[in-house]
Amino acid sequence: MNAPLLALLVLVFPAAGAALLAGRGWRLPRIFTVIVGPGVVWLSFLATIALFFDKTNADFTYWTWIKSGSFDVPFGLLIDNLSIFMCFVITGVGGLIVTYSVGYMEHEDDPSYARFFCYMDVFVFSMLLLVLADNFIFLIVGWAMVGLSSYLLIGFWYQRHSAVVAARKAFVMNVVGDVGMILGTFVLFVSFHSVTYDRVFRSLQSCRADLGLLCPVPAADTGSLEVAAFLLLVGAIAKSAQIPLHTWLPDAMEGPTPVSALIHAATMVTAGVYLVGRMHPIYDIAVYAHAAVAIIGAVTALFAATIAIVQTDIKRVLAYSTMSQIGYMFLAVGIGAYAAGFFHLLAHAFFKALLFMAAGNVIHAMHDEQDMRKYGGLWKDMRPTAITFLVGSLSLVGVIPFVGFFSKEQVLGLAFSKPDDNMVHVLWAVGFATALITGFYTGRMWWLTFWGKPAPNRAVEHPHAPRLVMMIPVAILAILSTVGGVVQTRAIGVGPAAVDGFLNSAVGRVPWEGGGAEIAVTFVTMLLAAGLFVWALYSRPWSAYAPWAQRLVEHKYYFDEAYDWAFVRPLDRVAAFGLRGIEQPVIDAAVIDTGLVARAGAASLSLTQSGYFRNYVLVFVGGALVAAVIVLVRANS
Amino acid sequence: MNIGGEQVDASWFLLLSAVLFALGAVGVLVRRNPLVILISIELMLNAANLALVAFSRQLLNLEGQLFALMSMTVAAAEAVVGLAILVDIFRVRDVEDIDDLSELRG
Repeated sequence: MNAPLLALLVLVFPAAGAALLAGRGWRLPRIFTVIVGPGVVWLSFLATIALFFDKTNADFTYWTWIKSGSFDVPFGLLIDNLSIFMCFVITGVGGLIVTYSVGYMEHEDDPSYARFFCYMDVFVFSMLLLVLADNFIFLIVGWAMVGLSSYLLIGFWYQRHSAVVAARKAFVMNVVGDVGMILGTFVLFVSFHSVTYDRVFRSLQSCRADLGLLCPVPAADTGSLEVAAFLLLVGAIAKSAQIPLHTWLPDAMEGPTPVSALIHAATMVTAGVYLVGRMHPIYDIAVYAHAAVAIIGAVTALFAATIAIVQTDIKRVLAYSTMSQIGYMFLAVGIGAYAAGFFHLLAHAFFKALLFMAAGNVIHAMHDEQDMRKYGGLWKDMRPTAITFLVGSLSLVGVIPFVGFFSKEQVLGLAFSKPDDNMVHVLWAVGFATALITGFYTGRMWWLTFWGKPAPNRAVEHPHAPRLVMMIPVAILAILSTVGGVVQTRAIGVGPAAVDGFLNSAVGRVPWEGGGAEIAVTFVTMLLAAGLFVWALYSRPWSAYAPWAQRLVEHKYYFDEAYDWAFVRPLDRVAAFGLRGIEQPVIDAAVIDTGLVARAGAASLSLTQSGYFRNYVLVFVGGALVAAVIVLVRANS
Repeated sequence: MNIGGEQVDASWFLLLSAVLFALGAVGVLVRRNPLVILISIELMLNAANLALVAFSRQLLNLEGQLFALMSMTVAAAEAVVGLAILVDIFRVRDVEDIDDLSELRG
């Protein structure tokens, strides 16, 4: 089969699935939904595999969407190693999660069941469009559509007030990012007169060839590039839940657990990492924006990890750890180690989807109880889930030989060994501290849930084992998290580097190499993190050490309160003034008075409508006489 | 205009037309029987026709006669519609006084 068609098929399958489910599917028997919902994602996965073996590396233009003067928007798909890599993550991990949903959502009635899979397919389609687009316009379309499907899925249980509020919050936060993206695209269009990646990046590269690696464009243009890069970064941090646009992600856990696994762990929230990687020709020149990426990533990593320590909701711990891990990815792409960032993206997709789905099994068995303090002792009752959860946890902590070790330590190692850059070394220290905290909160989560005696108020005495359809995807991801590291073992200095090799053609090679010290540090980090994982079982609650710190962290550093104070309350006051000062006395009054005048006028006029024929004729004849007199008088004068 | 070999001034015809029109108008206004009202309307139309024909003759212009023919056609159509409405009303009830038909009072 030819490559352009294959590339289009990757997109068409989920779109067709969503259309089928929205159109007829929900009226057909449930088996239809069970086949179509996950089936189309797997078909997309097969198409991606075919593209991979095709060794396609091209930019296919299918048709012109808008052409107006010099403004030219084609509908095109960019197939290179980076987009194929992302398609693998989306359709592969996505396929597993959608399959898992077949079991997790079984208690929904048929229309809701089909609605869920319809939204999931819409999401997969949008995410694929985002990574396959070959121009900024369709990037933004995909970008906004993943925001929409995230909104729909967080608010899937729309009878719950908290879910609706969380969905709205996520949507608003994401729109802030979308606006940043759109403004950034405007700036790029003004500078380069094009919205396709190819044209924009080629004009950047031709500059570079002339002037070497130093800033190639005139100073004024660098400024506009910095502006564009910062605006795109706003989009990236909103989508990836980085500081300061992160507050929506923990609330997004109101959605069903498979949604958290797919959208809020494995794929959508990593779109910001993809964006920075895809825009790397811009960030390579816009050094300030590039540094901002790394700083935001490192700060978010530490910040989210500290909050995760005190969370009691199992999904919220995972949400904060997701923010933290995406912080690592931002750190990686921010220091120019793009391929390392994407390797961590892949690893994170494996172990975080695994953790979410294993947590989903626990929640399902506990009848939707999410408070870890009401679990305990599940090791005895849910052995397979406990083991897979442990695999995911150790991978998150970064214990050899799990995949998280190789990916996270490679990021940290590259930050540690980047030459002549003190800022990066500070960021490495932040990442190092984060790794230790990760060990602690992950340990706390695992011990609380599975170890010890059952909590006295445990929700369910005898939890049921998860269904096979919910266990198989978890098991597959557990295997991938265990052995996935073999594709790239650069963190320990030897062995293959498949991901780097695959992505080098798309995002470039890291120009520096680590040394022996880096590997030593890697193992020290791992041992300390693993030690903290174990120590979490024995430690006292940390409120005993620093109550004020605990209060600070339990309030999530007062971000929600600050936003409430800075944006929500003033807006409420403006709205209240508008209601009482403008709406009611001016606009409402004008409308109501107009009605009253019209009604009074109509009442008096209707008296003339006597219904008597002779009255009408009299008026008519009288009027005709008056008209005749006027005509005669005017004719004679 | 020649009547009995004698030229008659057009103003007489106009005067006759005005008298007929006034009679018709008064008839519409004061009579109560719907049929008589219809007849009075016809009278007004024909008064207008008479004026048109008189002017046509006076000004030696055929357009006036054409207009008269036109208004006869309209009068015929109007009579058909008016009578049809009346017949329909009579089917439902017996109307002797047009004032009985005042249901559309505002």
